[in-house]
Amino acid sequence: MSRRLPHAASSRGLPVELSVAGATVRGFAGESVAAAALAGGVRVLSRSLKYHRPRSAFCMEGHCGGCLMRIDGAPNRRACQVPCASGLVAEGQNAFPSAEHDLLGAVDFVFARGLDHHTLMTSSSLLNAMAKKVVRQLSGLGTLPAAPAVELPPVPTHRVEVAVIGGGAAGLAAARAAAEAGAATLLVDDQLVPGGSLRADPLLGPAVADDAIAAATDAGAILHAATTAIAFFPEDDGGVLVAASERQARRVVARQWVWATGGYPVMLPIADNDRPGVLALRAATRLLLQHGILVGGAICVLTDPRLWAEAEVAAAALRRAGAEVTLLEVAQAEQILGRKAAQAVALRDGRQLDCDAVLLAALPSPATEGPRQQGCAVELSERAGGFALVVDADGRTTVPGVWGCGDVCGYRGPAAAAAEGARVGASAARAALGAAS
Amino acid sequence: MKKIVLCRCEDTTLADLEHCVARGYCDLEEVKRYTGFGTGPCQGKECLGPVGLALARLTGSAVRPFTSRPPLSPVPLRLLASDPAAYRFADDPPEPDRAEPAEPDDAATSTREGA
Repeated sequence: MSRRLPHAASSRGLPVELSVAGATVRGFAGESVAAAALAGGVRVLSRSLKYHRPRSAFCMEGHCGGCLMRIDGAPNRRACQVPCASGLVAEGQNAFPSAEHDLLGAVDFVFARGLDHHTLMTSSSLLNAMAKKVVRQLSGLGTLPAAPAVELPPVPTHRVEVAVIGGGAAGLAAARAAAEAGAATLLVDDQLVPGGSLRADPLLGPAVADDAIAAATDAGAILHAATTAIAFFPEDDGGVLVAASERQARRVVARQWVWATGGYPVMLPIADNDRPGVLALRAATRLLLQHGILVGGAICVLTDPRLWAEAEVAAAALRRAGAEVTLLEVAQAEQILGRKAAQAVALRDGRQLDCDAVLLAALPSPATEGPRQQGCAVELSERAGGFALVVDADGRTTVPGVWGCGDVCGYRGPAAAAAEGARVGASAARAALGAAS
Repeated sequence: MKKIVLCRCEDTTLADLEHCVARGYCDLEEVKRYTGFGTGPCQGKECLGPVGLALARLTGSAVRPFTSRPPLSPVPLRLLASDPAAYRFADDPPEPDRAEPAEPDDAATSTREGA
Protein backbone atom coordinates (compact mmCIF):
# COMPACT_ATOMS: atom_id res chain seq x y z
CA MET A 1 0.00 0.00 0.00
CA SER A 2 0.99 3.59 -0.51
CA ARG A 3 1.85 5.48 2.65
CA ARG A 4 3.21 8.72 4.02
CA LEU A 5 6.72 8.69 5.42
CA PRO A 6 6.82 9.87 9.04
CA HIS A 7 10.11 11.73 8.67
CA ALA A 8 8.58 14.08 6.10
CA ALA A 9 5.88 15.20 8.58
CA SER A 10 7.74 18.35 9.66
CA SER A 11 7.88 19.71 6.10
CA ARG A 12 4.14 19.28 5.43
CA GLY A 13 1.62 22.10 5.30
CA LEU A 14 -1.51 22.30 7.41
CA PRO A 15 -3.77 19.23 7.30
CA VAL A 16 -7.06 19.45 5.40
CA GLU A 17 -9.92 17.01 4.88
CA LEU A 18 -11.42 16.51 1.44
CA SER A 19 -13.69 14.10 -0.38
CA VAL A 20 -12.24 12.14 -3.32
CA ALA A 21 -14.36 9.66 -5.30
CA GLY A 22 -16.67 9.23 -2.33
CA ALA A 23 -13.95 8.67 0.28
CA THR A 24 -12.84 11.14 2.90
CA VAL A 25 -9.08 11.62 2.72
CA ARG A 26 -6.60 13.71 4.60
CA GLY A 27 -4.33 15.93 2.61
CA PHE A 28 -1.89 18.70 3.39
CA ALA A 29 -1.75 22.25 2.09
CA GLY A 30 0.64 22.32 -0.86
CA GLU A 31 -0.30 18.85 -2.08
CA SER A 32 -2.53 18.18 -5.06
CA VAL A 33 -5.85 16.36 -4.82
CA ALA A 34 -4.35 13.40 -6.71
CA ALA A 35 -1.38 13.21 -4.30
CA ALA A 36 -3.73 13.14 -1.30
CA ALA A 37 -5.87 10.49 -3.03
CA LEU A 38 -2.83 8.27 -3.69
CA ALA A 39 -1.58 8.71 -0.12
CA GLY A 40 -5.08 7.99 1.20
CA GLY A 41 -5.41 4.72 -0.71
CA VAL A 42 -8.07 5.90 -3.21
CA ARG A 43 -7.05 4.00 -6.30
CA VAL A 44 -9.76 4.60 -8.93
CA LEU A 45 -10.42 8.30 -9.62
CA SER A 46 -12.47 8.15 -12.84
CA ARG A 47 -13.34 5.96 -15.81
CA SER A 48 -12.05 6.22 -19.35
CA LEU A 49 -14.04 7.74 -22.20
CA LYS A 50 -14.70 4.73 -24.41
CA TYR A 51 -14.20 1.44 -22.59
CA HIS A 52 -14.87 2.77 -19.09
CA ARG A 53 -11.59 1.35 -17.85
CA PRO A 54 -10.62 2.38 -14.32
CA ARG A 55 -8.22 5.31 -14.30
CA SER A 56 -6.05 7.19 -11.87
CA ALA A 57 -3.11 9.56 -11.84
CA PHE A 58 -0.13 8.53 -13.97
CA CYS A 59 2.17 11.49 -14.66
CA MET A 60 1.38 13.82 -11.72
CA GLU A 61 2.34 16.72 -14.00
CA GLY A 62 -1.03 17.58 -15.55
CA HIS A 63 -0.08 16.14 -18.91
CA CYS A 64 -1.69 12.72 -19.27
CA GLY A 65 -5.43 13.11 -18.69
CA GLY A 66 -5.43 10.16 -16.29
CA CYS A 67 -6.82 11.98 -13.26
CA LEU A 68 -9.61 14.11 -14.74
CA MET A 69 -12.31 14.64 -12.11
CA ARG A 70 -15.27 16.84 -11.42
CA ILE A 71 -13.94 19.12 -8.69
CA ASP A 72 -16.26 21.43 -6.77
CA GLY A 73 -18.78 21.22 -9.61
CA ALA A 74 -16.36 21.98 -12.48
CA PRO A 75 -15.80 19.07 -14.89
CA ASN A 76 -12.54 17.71 -16.35
CA ARG A 77 -10.13 19.24 -13.87
CA ARG A 78 -6.77 17.57 -13.49
CA ALA A 79 -6.69 16.32 -9.92
CA CYS A 80 -2.88 16.37 -9.92
CA GLN A 81 -2.90 20.13 -10.58
CA VAL A 82 -5.61 21.19 -8.14
CA PRO A 83 -4.33 22.02 -4.65
CA CYS A 84 -5.96 20.33 -1.67
CA ALA A 85 -8.43 22.43 0.28
CA SER A 86 -10.66 21.76 3.23
CA GLY A 87 -14.14 20.67 2.14
CA LEU A 88 -13.12 20.20 -1.50
CA VAL A 89 -15.23 17.59 -3.31
CA ALA A 90 -13.67 15.62 -6.18
CA GLU A 91 -16.00 13.20 -7.99
CA GLY A 92 -15.26 10.51 -10.56
CA GLN A 93 -16.42 11.05 -14.15
CA ASN A 94 -17.84 8.81 -16.90
CA ALA A 95 -19.08 6.29 -14.40
CA PHE A 96 -22.39 4.92 -13.16
CA PRO A 97 -22.97 4.64 -10.25
CA SER A 98 -19.35 5.32 -9.17
CA ALA A 99 -15.79 5.26 -10.51
CA GLU A 100 -14.99 2.25 -8.33
CA HIS A 101 -18.09 0.27 -9.42
CA ASP A 102 -19.06 1.35 -12.93
CA LEU A 103 -21.71 -0.76 -14.68
CA LEU A 104 -20.60 0.66 -18.03
CA GLY A 105 -17.27 -1.08 -17.43
CA ALA A 106 -19.00 -3.97 -19.26
CA VAL A 107 -18.16 -2.15 -22.52
CA ASP A 108 -14.51 -3.15 -22.03
CA PHE A 109 -15.51 -6.84 -21.95
CA VAL A 110 -18.13 -6.70 -24.71
CA PHE A 111 -15.58 -5.07 -27.02
CA ALA A 112 -12.64 -7.12 -25.78
CA ARG A 113 -10.86 -6.85 -29.11
CA GLY A 114 -11.54 -3.16 -29.59
CA LEU A 115 -14.30 -1.04 -31.03
CA ASP A 116 -14.12 0.62 -34.45
CA HIS A 117 -16.82 3.28 -34.35
CA HIS A 118 -16.60 3.68 -38.14
CA THR A 119 -17.95 0.19 -38.75
CA LEU A 120 -20.04 -0.30 -35.59
CA MET A 121 -23.48 -1.69 -36.62
CA THR A 122 -23.17 -0.19 -40.11
CA SER A 123 -24.41 -3.42 -41.71
CA SER A 124 -28.00 -2.45 -40.90
CA SER A 125 -29.35 1.09 -41.05
CA LEU A 126 -31.83 0.36 -38.24
CA LEU A 127 -29.16 -1.03 -35.92
CA ASN A 128 -26.90 1.86 -36.87
CA ALA A 129 -29.53 4.45 -35.92
CA MET A 130 -30.06 2.70 -32.58
CA ALA A 131 -26.33 2.43 -31.92
CA LYS A 132 -25.89 6.14 -32.63
CA LYS A 133 -28.63 6.98 -30.12
CA VAL A 134 -26.98 4.90 -27.40
CA VAL A 135 -23.49 6.17 -28.15
CA ARG A 136 -24.68 9.78 -28.02
CA GLN A 137 -26.11 9.16 -24.56
CA LEU A 138 -22.88 7.57 -23.34
CA SER A 139 -20.24 9.71 -25.01
CA GLY A 140 -18.74 12.98 -23.89
CA LEU A 141 -16.28 13.71 -21.16
CA GLY A 142 -17.84 14.77 -17.87
CA THR A 143 -20.99 16.86 -17.61
CA LEU A 144 -21.38 20.63 -17.75
CA PRO A 145 -20.90 22.73 -14.61
CA ALA A 146 -23.99 23.20 -12.45
CA ALA A 147 -23.70 27.00 -12.48
CA PRO A 148 -22.31 29.58 -14.90
CA ALA A 149 -18.96 31.22 -14.12
CA VAL A 150 -19.31 34.57 -12.39
CA GLU A 151 -15.76 35.85 -12.29
CA LEU A 152 -14.39 37.05 -15.64
CA PRO A 153 -10.91 38.44 -14.94
CA PRO A 154 -9.33 40.86 -17.45
CA VAL A 155 -6.38 39.66 -19.57
CA PRO A 156 -3.17 41.65 -18.99
CA THR A 157 -0.39 41.93 -21.60
CA HIS A 158 3.26 41.46 -20.60
CA ARG A 159 5.85 42.98 -22.95
CA VAL A 160 9.30 41.56 -22.32
CA GLU A 161 12.62 41.04 -24.05
CA VAL A 162 12.95 37.34 -23.36
CA ALA A 163 10.08 34.96 -22.63
CA VAL A 164 10.95 31.51 -21.31
CA ILE A 165 8.33 28.78 -21.46
CA GLY A 166 8.92 26.00 -18.96
CA GLY A 167 10.44 26.28 -15.48
CA GLY A 168 12.46 23.10 -15.17
CA ALA A 169 16.22 22.78 -15.06
CA ALA A 170 16.71 24.30 -18.53
CA GLY A 171 14.09 27.05 -18.26
CA LEU A 172 15.13 28.30 -14.81
CA ALA A 173 18.77 28.43 -15.91
CA ALA A 174 17.79 30.23 -19.13
CA ALA A 175 15.66 32.80 -17.27
CA ARG A 176 18.46 33.44 -14.78
CA ALA A 177 21.07 33.88 -17.52
CA ALA A 178 18.82 36.14 -19.61
CA ALA A 179 17.98 38.33 -16.62
CA GLU A 180 21.63 38.50 -15.52
CA ALA A 181 22.52 39.64 -19.04
CA GLY A 182 20.14 42.57 -18.53
CA ALA A 183 17.09 41.43 -20.48
CA ALA A 184 13.58 41.93 -19.11
CA THR A 185 12.68 38.27 -18.65
CA LEU A 186 9.42 36.48 -17.98
CA LEU A 187 9.09 32.76 -17.27
CA VAL A 188 5.84 30.81 -17.27
CA ASP A 189 5.63 27.30 -15.83
CA ASP A 190 2.60 25.06 -15.76
CA GLN A 191 3.24 23.22 -12.49
CA LEU A 192 1.93 24.25 -9.06
CA VAL A 193 5.57 24.77 -8.10
CA PRO A 194 8.27 25.28 -10.79
CA GLY A 195 11.32 23.06 -10.87
CA GLY A 196 10.24 20.46 -13.44
CA SER A 197 12.02 17.13 -13.32
CA LEU A 198 14.57 18.53 -10.83
CA ARG A 199 11.92 17.88 -8.18
CA ALA A 200 11.72 14.24 -9.21
CA ASP A 201 15.45 13.61 -9.45
CA PRO A 202 16.84 11.75 -6.40
CA LEU A 203 20.36 13.10 -7.08
CA LEU A 204 19.23 16.75 -7.29
CA GLY A 205 15.76 17.11 -5.77
CA PRO A 206 13.52 19.91 -4.49
CA ALA A 207 16.36 21.81 -2.76
CA VAL A 208 18.19 22.29 -6.07
CA ALA A 209 14.91 23.34 -7.70
CA ASP A 210 14.27 25.91 -4.95
CA ASP A 211 17.80 27.28 -5.40
CA ALA A 212 17.29 27.58 -9.16
CA ILE A 213 14.02 29.48 -8.62
CA ALA A 214 15.69 31.83 -6.14
CA ALA A 215 18.61 32.42 -8.51
CA ALA A 216 16.28 33.29 -11.39
CA THR A 217 14.10 35.65 -9.36
CA ASP A 218 17.14 37.24 -7.64
CA ALA A 219 18.53 37.99 -11.10
CA GLY A 220 15.30 39.87 -11.85
CA ALA A 221 13.30 37.36 -13.88
CA ILE A 222 9.54 37.34 -13.28
CA LEU A 223 8.09 33.87 -12.68
CA HIS A 224 4.47 32.85 -13.08
CA ALA A 225 3.80 29.38 -11.69
CA ALA A 226 0.74 27.25 -12.49
CA THR A 227 0.53 29.19 -15.77
CA THR A 228 0.38 27.12 -18.93
CA ALA A 229 1.19 28.29 -22.44
CA ILE A 230 -2.06 27.52 -24.25
CA ALA A 231 -1.65 29.18 -27.65
CA PHE A 232 0.68 31.14 -29.88
CA PHE A 233 -0.87 33.58 -32.35
CA PRO A 234 1.78 34.67 -34.88
CA GLU A 235 -0.49 37.18 -36.64
CA ASP A 236 -1.04 39.52 -33.67
CA ASP A 237 1.46 42.09 -32.40
CA GLY A 238 4.47 40.30 -33.92
CA GLY A 239 3.45 37.11 -32.13
CA VAL A 240 1.47 36.69 -28.94
CA LEU A 241 1.67 33.82 -26.51
CA VAL A 242 -1.41 33.24 -24.38
CA ALA A 243 -0.74 31.60 -21.04
CA ALA A 244 -3.35 30.80 -18.43
CA SER A 245 -3.68 29.68 -14.85
CA GLU A 246 -6.97 28.48 -13.35
CA ARG A 247 -7.79 32.10 -12.50
CA GLN A 248 -6.06 34.31 -15.02
CA ALA A 249 -5.12 34.38 -18.69
CA ARG A 250 -2.17 36.53 -19.81
CA ARG A 251 -0.83 37.73 -23.15
CA VAL A 252 2.93 37.65 -23.53
CA VAL A 253 4.76 39.58 -26.26
CA ALA A 254 8.53 39.02 -26.43
CA ARG A 255 11.49 39.84 -28.67
CA GLN A 256 13.01 36.39 -28.16
CA TRP A 257 11.33 33.15 -27.18
CA VAL A 258 12.99 30.28 -25.34
CA TRP A 259 11.17 26.94 -25.25
CA ALA A 260 12.27 24.84 -22.29
CA THR A 261 9.16 22.70 -21.98
CA GLY A 262 11.01 19.42 -21.42
CA GLY A 263 9.38 16.09 -22.10
CA TYR A 264 6.23 14.32 -20.98
CA PRO A 265 6.25 11.00 -19.13
CA VAL A 266 4.63 8.45 -21.45
CA MET A 267 3.45 4.86 -21.16
CA LEU A 268 5.38 1.82 -22.30
CA PRO A 269 3.65 -0.68 -24.60
CA ILE A 270 2.68 -3.48 -22.21
CA ALA A 271 -0.84 -4.89 -21.93
CA ASP A 272 -3.07 -3.05 -19.46
CA ASN A 273 -0.55 -0.27 -18.99
CA ASP A 274 -3.38 2.11 -18.05
CA ARG A 275 -4.38 0.46 -14.77
CA PRO A 276 -4.57 2.56 -11.61
CA GLY A 277 -1.40 1.91 -9.64
CA VAL A 278 0.70 2.21 -12.81
CA LEU A 279 2.57 5.49 -12.59
CA ALA A 280 5.45 7.15 -14.34
CA LEU A 281 8.65 6.48 -12.42
CA ARG A 282 9.18 10.24 -12.32
CA ALA A 283 5.74 10.69 -10.73
CA ALA A 284 6.68 8.28 -7.94
CA THR A 285 10.02 9.95 -7.19
CA ARG A 286 8.30 13.34 -7.35
CA LEU A 287 5.75 12.22 -4.75
CA LEU A 288 8.53 10.78 -2.61
CA LEU A 289 10.87 13.77 -2.73
CA GLN A 290 8.27 16.52 -2.75
CA HIS A 291 5.62 15.17 -0.38
CA GLY A 292 7.12 12.17 1.42
CA ILE A 293 4.55 9.85 -0.17
CA LEU A 294 5.66 6.32 -1.06
CA VAL A 295 3.38 4.92 -3.80
CA GLY A 296 3.68 1.26 -2.85
CA GLY A 297 5.17 -1.32 -0.52
CA ALA A 298 6.13 -3.77 -3.28
CA ILE A 299 7.07 -1.88 -6.42
CA CYS A 300 7.93 -3.18 -9.88
CA VAL A 301 9.89 -0.71 -12.01
CA LEU A 302 9.80 -1.39 -15.77
CA THR A 303 12.30 0.65 -17.71
CA ASP A 304 13.41 1.43 -21.21
CA PRO A 305 16.97 -0.05 -21.28
CA ARG A 306 18.34 3.39 -22.28
CA LEU A 307 17.22 4.76 -18.90
CA TRP A 308 18.63 1.87 -16.84
CA ALA A 309 21.09 4.03 -14.88
CA GLU A 310 18.41 6.62 -13.99
CA ALA A 311 15.96 3.86 -13.06
CA GLU A 312 18.54 2.28 -10.75
CA VAL A 313 19.02 5.57 -8.92
CA ALA A 314 15.24 5.97 -8.54
CA ALA A 315 14.82 2.35 -7.39
CA ALA A 316 17.50 2.88 -4.75
CA ALA A 317 15.69 5.97 -3.46
CA LEU A 318 12.40 4.04 -3.23
CA ARG A 319 14.19 1.19 -1.40
CA ARG A 320 15.70 3.62 1.09
CA ALA A 321 12.17 4.86 1.78
CA GLY A 322 11.17 1.31 2.72
CA ALA A 323 9.74 -0.26 -0.46
CA GLU A 324 10.68 -3.60 -1.94
CA VAL A 325 11.68 -2.76 -5.50
CA THR A 326 12.20 -5.04 -8.51
CA LEU A 327 13.81 -3.37 -11.51
CA LEU A 328 13.27 -4.96 -14.92
CA GLU A 329 13.66 -4.05 -18.56
CA VAL A 330 10.26 -3.48 -20.10
CA ALA A 331 10.79 -6.25 -22.67
CA GLN A 332 10.61 -8.79 -19.84
CA ALA A 333 7.02 -7.83 -18.98
CA GLU A 334 3.94 -9.11 -20.77
CA GLN A 335 0.95 -7.68 -18.92
CA ILE A 336 -0.02 -5.75 -15.81
CA LEU A 337 -2.53 -7.78 -13.81
CA GLY A 338 -5.12 -6.78 -11.24
CA ARG A 339 -8.85 -6.57 -10.61
CA LYS A 340 -8.90 -2.82 -11.02
CA ALA A 341 -5.58 -1.49 -9.77
CA ALA A 342 -2.22 -3.15 -10.47
CA GLN A 343 -1.59 -6.24 -8.32
CA ALA A 344 1.06 -8.12 -10.30
CA VAL A 345 3.18 -8.09 -13.44
CA ALA A 346 3.06 -11.14 -15.71
CA LEU A 347 6.51 -11.73 -17.16
CA ARG A 348 7.27 -13.19 -20.56
CA ASP A 349 9.04 -16.17 -19.00
CA GLY A 350 5.77 -17.19 -17.34
CA ARG A 351 6.59 -15.93 -13.86
CA GLN A 352 4.29 -13.57 -12.02
CA LEU A 353 5.60 -10.78 -9.85
CA ASP A 354 3.23 -9.59 -7.12
CA CYS A 355 3.31 -5.86 -6.43
CA ASP A 356 1.06 -2.98 -5.47
CA ALA A 357 2.54 -0.37 -7.80
CA VAL A 358 4.12 -0.53 -11.25
CA LEU A 359 6.36 2.32 -12.32
CA LEU A 360 7.17 2.95 -15.98
CA ALA A 361 10.38 4.66 -17.09
CA ALA A 362 10.09 5.67 -20.75
CA LEU A 363 12.08 8.34 -22.55
CA PRO A 364 10.16 11.58 -21.95
CA SER A 365 8.33 12.60 -25.12
CA PRO A 366 9.45 16.14 -26.14
CA ALA A 367 6.84 18.82 -25.41
CA THR A 368 6.89 20.51 -28.81
CA GLU A 369 3.28 21.54 -29.42
CA GLY A 370 4.04 25.16 -28.49
CA PRO A 371 7.09 25.58 -30.75
CA ARG A 372 5.19 23.71 -33.49
CA GLN A 373 2.56 26.46 -33.35
CA GLN A 374 5.33 28.97 -33.85
CA GLY A 375 6.40 27.08 -36.96
CA CYS A 376 9.54 25.43 -35.58
CA ALA A 377 10.65 22.20 -37.25
CA VAL A 378 10.58 18.98 -35.25
CA GLU A 379 12.03 15.59 -36.01
CA LEU A 380 10.79 12.13 -35.04
CA SER A 381 13.48 9.95 -33.54
CA GLU A 382 13.62 6.83 -31.39
CA ARG A 383 16.47 8.40 -29.44
CA ALA A 384 14.32 11.40 -28.51
CA GLY A 385 11.24 9.32 -27.63
CA GLY A 386 9.07 11.31 -30.02
CA PHE A 387 9.14 14.54 -32.05
CA ALA A 388 12.10 16.58 -30.80
CA LEU A 389 12.56 20.29 -31.46
CA VAL A 390 15.25 20.82 -34.09
CA VAL A 391 17.98 23.22 -32.86
CA ASP A 392 21.50 24.10 -33.99
CA ALA A 393 24.58 23.93 -31.74
CA ASP A 394 23.66 27.32 -30.20
CA GLY A 395 20.05 26.36 -29.47
CA ARG A 396 18.46 28.25 -32.40
CA THR A 397 15.32 26.66 -33.82
CA THR A 398 14.41 26.94 -37.49
CA VAL A 399 12.39 30.13 -36.74
CA PRO A 400 14.31 33.40 -36.13
CA GLY A 401 14.01 34.67 -32.56
CA VAL A 402 12.94 31.28 -31.24
CA TRP A 403 15.27 29.08 -29.17
CA GLY A 404 15.10 25.68 -27.55
CA CYS A 405 16.97 24.04 -24.69
CA GLY A 406 16.74 20.98 -22.48
CA ASP A 407 14.68 17.84 -22.97
CA VAL A 408 12.33 19.46 -25.52
CA CYS A 409 15.23 18.93 -27.95
CA GLY A 410 15.57 15.25 -26.91
CA TYR A 411 16.28 13.70 -23.53
CA ARG A 412 19.42 14.97 -21.77
CA GLY A 413 18.51 14.87 -18.08
CA PRO A 414 18.37 17.85 -15.69
CA ALA A 415 22.10 18.49 -15.17
CA ALA A 416 22.88 18.76 -18.89
CA ALA A 417 19.63 20.66 -19.49
CA ALA A 418 20.60 23.31 -16.91
CA ALA A 419 23.99 23.91 -18.53
CA GLU A 420 22.36 24.20 -21.95
CA GLY A 421 19.64 26.51 -20.60
CA ALA A 422 22.23 28.92 -19.19
CA ARG A 423 24.00 29.17 -22.56
CA VAL A 424 20.79 29.61 -24.55
CA GLY A 425 19.32 32.13 -22.10
CA ALA A 426 22.43 34.32 -22.41
CA SER A 427 22.36 34.07 -26.21
CA ALA A 428 18.65 34.96 -26.34
CA ALA A 429 19.28 37.99 -24.12
CA ARG A 430 22.12 39.18 -26.38
CA ALA A 431 19.86 38.80 -29.41
CA ALA A 432 17.00 40.67 -27.69
CA LEU A 433 19.18 43.54 -26.49
CA GLY A 434 21.04 43.75 -29.80
CA ALA A 435 17.73 44.06 -31.62
CA ALA A 436 16.68 46.80 -29.20
CA SER A 437 19.69 49.06 -29.75
CA MET B 1 -9.76 -6.89 -20.99
CA LYS B 2 -6.20 -7.10 -22.26
CA LYS B 3 -5.39 -3.90 -24.12
CA ILE B 4 -2.16 -2.03 -24.84
CA VAL B 5 -3.23 1.59 -24.49
CA LEU B 6 -1.41 4.23 -26.54
CA CYS B 7 -3.76 7.17 -26.00
CA ARG B 8 -5.32 7.24 -22.57
CA CYS B 9 -7.76 10.11 -23.27
CA GLU B 10 -9.44 8.40 -26.23
CA ASP B 11 -8.79 4.76 -25.29
CA THR B 12 -6.81 4.16 -28.49
CA THR B 13 -4.88 0.88 -28.40
CA LEU B 14 -1.97 -0.57 -30.34
CA ALA B 15 -4.50 -2.95 -31.95
CA ASP B 16 -6.53 0.09 -33.14
CA LEU B 17 -3.40 1.54 -34.73
CA GLU B 18 -2.60 -1.74 -36.50
CA HIS B 19 -6.22 -2.02 -37.70
CA CYS B 20 -6.07 1.55 -38.96
CA VAL B 21 -2.81 0.95 -40.88
CA ALA B 22 -4.26 -2.29 -42.30
CA ARG B 23 -7.15 -0.22 -43.70
CA GLY B 24 -4.65 2.01 -45.47
CA TYR B 25 -4.49 5.04 -43.19
CA CYS B 26 -0.75 5.50 -42.76
CA ASP B 27 -0.35 9.24 -42.18
CA LEU B 28 -0.48 10.57 -38.61
CA GLU B 29 -3.29 13.03 -39.49
CA GLU B 30 -5.29 10.16 -41.01
CA VAL B 31 -4.63 7.97 -37.99
CA LYS B 32 -5.80 10.79 -35.75
CA ARG B 33 -9.03 11.18 -37.69
CA TYR B 34 -9.68 7.43 -37.83
CA THR B 35 -8.86 6.45 -34.24
CA GLY B 36 -9.39 9.75 -32.44
CA PHE B 37 -5.98 9.48 -30.77
CA GLY B 38 -4.54 12.81 -29.68
CA THR B 39 -7.93 14.57 -29.69
CA GLY B 40 -8.66 14.24 -25.97
CA PRO B 41 -7.94 16.60 -23.09
CA CYS B 42 -4.17 16.05 -23.30
CA GLN B 43 -4.13 16.90 -27.04
CA GLY B 44 -1.43 14.37 -27.79
CA LYS B 45 1.03 15.19 -25.02
CA GLU B 46 1.17 11.59 -23.88
CA CYS B 47 0.47 9.79 -27.14
CA LEU B 48 1.88 11.76 -30.10
CA GLY B 49 5.46 10.56 -29.58
CA PRO B 50 4.67 6.88 -28.90
CA VAL B 51 2.04 6.69 -31.70
CA GLY B 52 4.43 8.44 -34.11
CA LEU B 53 7.19 5.98 -33.30
CA ALA B 54 4.85 2.97 -33.49
CA LEU B 55 3.54 4.19 -36.85
CA ALA B 56 7.06 4.68 -38.20
CA ARG B 57 7.90 1.11 -37.14
CA LEU B 58 4.71 -0.26 -38.75
CA THR B 59 4.97 1.61 -42.05
CA GLY B 60 8.73 2.13 -42.32
CA SER B 61 8.18 5.61 -43.71
CA ALA B 62 8.79 9.13 -42.44
CA VAL B 63 6.13 10.44 -40.03
CA ARG B 64 5.21 14.07 -39.54
CA PRO B 65 3.32 15.30 -36.45
CA PHE B 66 -0.30 16.40 -36.67
CA THR B 67 -1.09 20.11 -36.54
CA SER B 68 -0.88 21.60 -33.06
CA ARG B 69 -3.91 23.78 -32.34
CA PRO B 70 -4.91 26.00 -29.41
CA PRO B 71 -5.60 25.51 -26.61
CA LEU B 72 -2.52 23.39 -25.88
CA SER B 73 -3.79 22.58 -22.40
CA PRO B 74 -7.21 22.52 -20.75
CA VAL B 75 -8.24 26.07 -19.87
CA PRO B 76 -11.44 27.34 -18.19
CA LEU B 77 -13.53 28.98 -20.93
CA ARG B 78 -14.41 31.93 -18.70
CA LEU B 79 -10.79 33.12 -18.84
CA LEU B 80 -11.05 33.55 -22.60
CA ALA B 81 -14.67 34.70 -22.55
CA SER B 82 -13.63 37.72 -20.50
CA ASP B 83 -11.37 39.07 -23.24
CA PRO B 84 -13.03 41.13 -26.00
CA ALA B 85 -10.08 40.39 -28.31
CA ALA B 86 -11.00 36.71 -28.17
CA TYR B 87 -14.17 37.45 -30.15
CA ARG B 88 -12.28 39.07 -33.02
CA PHE B 89 -10.16 37.64 -35.81
CA ALA B 90 -7.30 39.27 -37.67
CA ASP B 91 -9.34 39.65 -40.87
CA ASP B 92 -12.48 41.02 -39.16
CA PRO B 93 -13.55 44.54 -40.27
CA PRO B 94 -12.58 47.32 -37.83
CA GLU B 95 -14.78 47.68 -34.76
CA PRO B 96 -17.70 50.13 -35.06
CA ASP B 97 -17.19 53.46 -33.34
CA ARG B 98 -18.50 52.94 -29.82
CA ALA B 99 -18.82 56.67 -29.23
CA GLU B 100 -21.55 56.88 -31.87
CA PRO B 101 -24.76 58.11 -30.19
CA ALA B 102 -27.52 55.55 -30.02
CA GLU B 103 -30.86 55.37 -28.29
CA PRO B 104 -30.58 53.09 -25.24
CA ASP B 105 -33.38 50.86 -26.58
CA ASP B 106 -31.71 50.49 -29.97
CA ALA B 107 -28.18 50.02 -28.63
CA ALA B 108 -28.07 46.27 -29.16
CA THR B 109 -29.55 46.49 -32.67
CA SER B 110 -27.27 49.24 -33.90
CA THR B 111 -24.15 47.43 -32.66
CA ARG B 112 -25.20 44.35 -34.59
CA GLU B 113 -25.78 46.37 -37.75
CA GLY B 114 -22.48 48.15 -37.34
CA ALA B 115 -20.46 44.91 -37.00
